Amino acid sequence: MSARQRKRHPFPWISYLVVAIGGVMMVVPFFDTVFSSLKGPGEYGIFPYRFFPETWTWDNYTAAFEQLQLDKLFFNSVVVTLVVTASVLITSAMAGYALAKLRFRGRDVIFRFVLATMMLPPFLLLIPDFLIMLNWPLVGGNNILGQGGFGGMTNNIVSLMLPFLVSGFGIFLMRQFMVGVPDEMLEAARIDGAGEWRLFFNIVLPQATPVAITLGVITFVGQWNEYIWSSLIASANPDLMTLPVGIQMLQSFIDPNRTMPIVMAGIVISTLPVLIIFLFLQKYYVRGVMLSGMK
Amino acid sequence: MANPTLMTAAQEAAEDTIAVTVGTTKTKPRARRFRREARAGYLFLAPSLLFFTVFLILPTFFAIFLSLSTWGGFDLTKIEFTGFQNYAAILQLDSKFVSPILVNTFLFAIIAVVLAVGGSVVVAQLIERLKFQGFWRFLYFLPVVATVVAIGNVWKMLYQPAGLINALLNAVGVNSIGFLSDPSLALPAVAVVQAWASIGAAVLILTAGIKGIDKTMYEAAEIDGAGPWRTFWSITLPLLRPSLVFVFITQCIAGLQSFALIIVMTKDGGPANATNVAAFEMYQQAFKFGAWGTASAMAMVLFLIIFIITLLQLWISRRTGGDDR
Repeated sequence: MSARQRKRHPFPWISYLVVAIGGVMMVVPFFDTVFSSLKGPGEYGIFPYRFFPETWTWDNYTAAFEQLQLDKLFFNSVVVTLVVTASVLITSAMAGYALAKLRFRGRDVIFRFVLATMMLPPFLLLIPDFLIMLNWPLVGGNNILGQGGFGGMTNNIVSLMLPFLVSGFGIFLMRQFMVGVPDEMLEAARIDGAGEWRLFFNIVLPQATPVAITLGVITFVGQWNEYIWSSLIASANPDLMTLPVGIQMLQSFIDPNRTMPIVMAGIVISTLPVLIIFLFLQKYYVRGVMLSGMK
Repeated sequence: MANPTLMTAAQEAAEDTIAVTVGTTKTKPRARRFRREARAGYLFLAPSLLFFTVFLILPTFFAIFLSLSTWGGFDLTKIEFTGFQNYAAILQLDSKFVSPILVNTFLFAIIAVVLAVGGSVVVAQLIERLKFQGFWRFLYFLPVVATVVAIGNVWKMLYQPAGLINALLNAVGVNSIGFLSDPSLALPAVAVVQAWASIGAAVLILTAGIKGIDKTMYEAAEIDGAGPWRTFWSITLPLLRPSLVFVFITQCIAGLQSFALIIVMTKDGGPANATNVAAFEMYQQAFKFGAWGTASAMAMVLFLIIFIITLLQLWISRRTGGDDR
């Protein structure tokens, strides 16, 4: 049997070749980034092009730390990402549980509404959300009608988080998973006198751990990498720059041959945390991407 | 194990009989339990619903209203309702928004989708025959974890005159190409990056689809003497349809609304509007020029275009292929 099969399926060297060439195209940009970030002064952007640095140096990394105020950017990115991830996990689990296991009037309508929210593209809400931030009542000197102040909510770091605190996709994911939690288990606990909160924390949440990790990793990576909204907030309040915004800002400095290697160093530094998380939790992340179909 | 639905049904029936035999006193706790459950339900949903009200429903209506108004920013009382004037202005056939911007939007999406979907079908299919499948898929998936700022800047570096790609071209005797400075090349050059960044997710979804295909189908085809090419066209592709439709539609949606990559790589949609797409023009009109009404109208038009194209795709796939989803 196996001999026959081997005859029919010779070593698939064309497949290997095609996949490997594609694989090189996927990986080489990353190596070019790392090596460019390690190049010495005057080595970048000149002819002839060289893949490897001539003199290996960490100078671009120290320059990145100094010019980017990396500590501040890191702080903003970490705080925003952690808060958003925690919030999405908690609100998705709660709403998902309610939509999956609790019986009340209007449940199906609300579920259909949550599905509909996933169809609204982010760019559509960009303008109104930003205006809502600027005109948030009673912050940043605004009066109760949201007028008169300067910057409104953009004075506060929560403006970086607000539009991301709840995820329709997260609720959907949790709900689909929690439908599978056996009803007898919940009934038994209810008969024992457990309240809905106890039920949620002691029975439902522990069972939902795998899907919670999946949702957590997707949300974390997505938020860490978020650029458009953060750049808008930073344009109103530079103190609220996150890592991607800071790196893009540095990129726009005048002399690209000098700043590009520093930008590359910044990219390496900002990508490392996500890459490490990805390597450890790849299984969960992959499952999440398959479920969502998009990054 | 007993069937869960049967068991609950039995339990409920038992509860009902108890309630009936004992009379009204026993129906009361049950009603109270339902009320408690309902209260918990609304309470658990409250944070999410509050969020959706403030950051989704309110902004949607605000966006619609803005798109029908003229407003220069700052003072909210100065918003002036002007009906469909913004739409009329941007949708005139000779307007900049129709050509080149909407044309660019479609071109960008088409190039990115064709490359990403075509490439992912080939790669997902070929990886199935290799060893170390996880490793190969991992390579293609890597860009998915990088921020658009990283991806855009890295490719800007690769594309530049003294960059890796031109060095390779020079090595085989081709003159350097100004990928991002040549107006006829800039848009495809950015679209390639979009495809590069999204191919990994597509490979994963298609792989799941391929793994779901019944292996006996292939054995049957082999017995019937079908070659690999024939097998691919007659078995893999048709049975892969649901995943393929899903990948195709999500990539189209992503391609039509993508603009972060363009901000990072070209900054102003240049050279000469060659890479200016609808979502980017909306962004510029609002946050650079303060033409909030015009920008909101552009957002609405793009949203409707995406919505209609998605519905069309679903409709076509249903008409031609039956029960995808």
